[in-house]
Amino acid sequence: MSYRTPWQVTRSVWHALFMREAIARTTADRFAWFWMLAEPIAMVTVMVAIRAVVSSGHHIGGVDFIPWLICGLLGFYLFRENMMRSVGAVDANKALFAYRQVRPVDPVLVRCYLEGLLKTIVLLLFILASQLMGLGLMPSDLLGALFAWVSLWMLGLGVGLTLSVLSSLVPEVGKIVRIISLPLLIISGAMIPLNFVPYDLQQYLLLNPIVHGIESLRMFFFPSYQTLSGISMTFLWLCSLALISLGLMLHLRFSMRLRIQ
Amino acid sequence: MIHIHELSKRYHNHHGSDWVLQDINLEIPTGVNVGLVGPNGAGKSTLLRLIAGMDMPDRGEIIRDCRVSWPIGLAGGFQGSMTGRQNVKFVARVHGSDQEILKIIEFVEKFAEIGKAFDEPIKTYSSGMRSRLAFGLSLAFDFDIYLSDEATSVGDRAFKAKATKAFRDKVGQAGLIIVSHSEGILCDLCQAGIFLNDCHAHWFDDINEAIASYHASIKLAPT
Repeated sequence: MSYRTPWQVTRSVWHALFMREAIARTTADRFAWFWMLAEPIAMVTVMVAIRAVVSSGHHIGGVDFIPWLICGLLGFYLFRENMMRSVGAVDANKALFAYRQVRPVDPVLVRCYLEGLLKTIVLLLFILASQLMGLGLMPSDLLGALFAWVSLWMLGLGVGLTLSVLSSLVPEVGKIVRIISLPLLIISGAMIPLNFVPYDLQQYLLLNPIVHGIESLRMFFFPSYQTLSGISMTFLWLCSLALISLGLMLHLRFSMRLRIQ
Repeated sequence: MIHIHELSKRYHNHHGSDWVLQDINLEIPTGVNVGLVGPNGAGKSTLLRLIAGMDMPDRGEIIRDCRVSWPIGLAGGFQGSMTGRQNVKFVARVHGSDQEILKIIEFVEKFAEIGKAFDEPIKTYSSGMRSRLAFGLSLAFDFDIYLSDEATSVGDRAFKAKATKAFRDKVGQAGLIIVSHSEGILCDLCQAGIFLNDCHAHWFDDINEAIASYHASIKLAPT
């Protein structure tokens, strides 16, 4: 065996972890693949049913309700899964830190990468299915939609990196994250339009970077979409980059403690 | 060659944090088998873990300019939900042996002799099966220096004989750093020795001298 550069070592660790995580994620549960598709479908069905009963009108900001909802939900799930999967990433791979090549940050990065890929496949399947059903879920600005999608992914990565350290050091953090994931779904405007919220309150909701990601994604999908004022990709990227930096710094600072526990 | 430079390590606990190892300077050459001796709690296993990179020093550094193994027979390095085969694959991939991955799996499967259990999750294994697998895995790679923490004592009688033989063959071609309380094994396998006492390490070119000064320190200690 010959000498390997640090980059080669890191790459083979990522490759090994990716294979492991991909198998665990898609085959651990017999219905793993099924749930990936069924969860958003069930959510869309329930919301459409509720909306049919409660309110009138099928348009939100000039866009059909169903594609609007799918777009928001998938965007939110992309963020949420990156955050939730990262929380358990360090603890689930603790045994593998016995090999010095594997660092606590590696499983988090690999999980976020894998989760992003899976969610992208789900999005593509949804776009394909809705094209066939004539629902009109097709990005009008393909590059822009891709950019917004990647932005949400990066935000999830930043939150994931940060929370993966915190939840390993303080186990309660993981529980709190699980509790806030539902309220987060509501205040992020994934299924309830924020246009209906009073203006004063909107200003507070706009502090949440997920809103900016989801609304931008919708703007790139539907050219005629009337979004909230004050939606900014710059703010989203500032948050993402700040969180990614913070997460990486925490990983550097606490890598020893994450390994041992 | 493993360079250990100004290495210090302590563990933090509720009763303060005393140094386990302090200002250790060692140069461990590649071709030599080294035995680590010292009383319980002297930091032998800690030093081995630090050399393996499983733990980080509080001060100082360890430079490895050769391929150093993880401690042989380390059963803790398995992921319980993955099968034996998947764990072996994982370790082979981490060590960059993608081309030889089939060869490595075949070797481990044959060596461990755990039959169909190789494709069952590790959490269903008995401790004997785990250590068979762990031992086979360590021997499947070619390292320049092997680390061992009382590893030759695993499995049943038949496996022990086989493991000891394979272990000796491997170690004959490479270097070894071993922690053991059995002086027979140490004298048999090692040429040089390190005696750990009072947070400090003393290097001896002859293992017998290291053992002798360990014995002397026991006699000197107040009873």
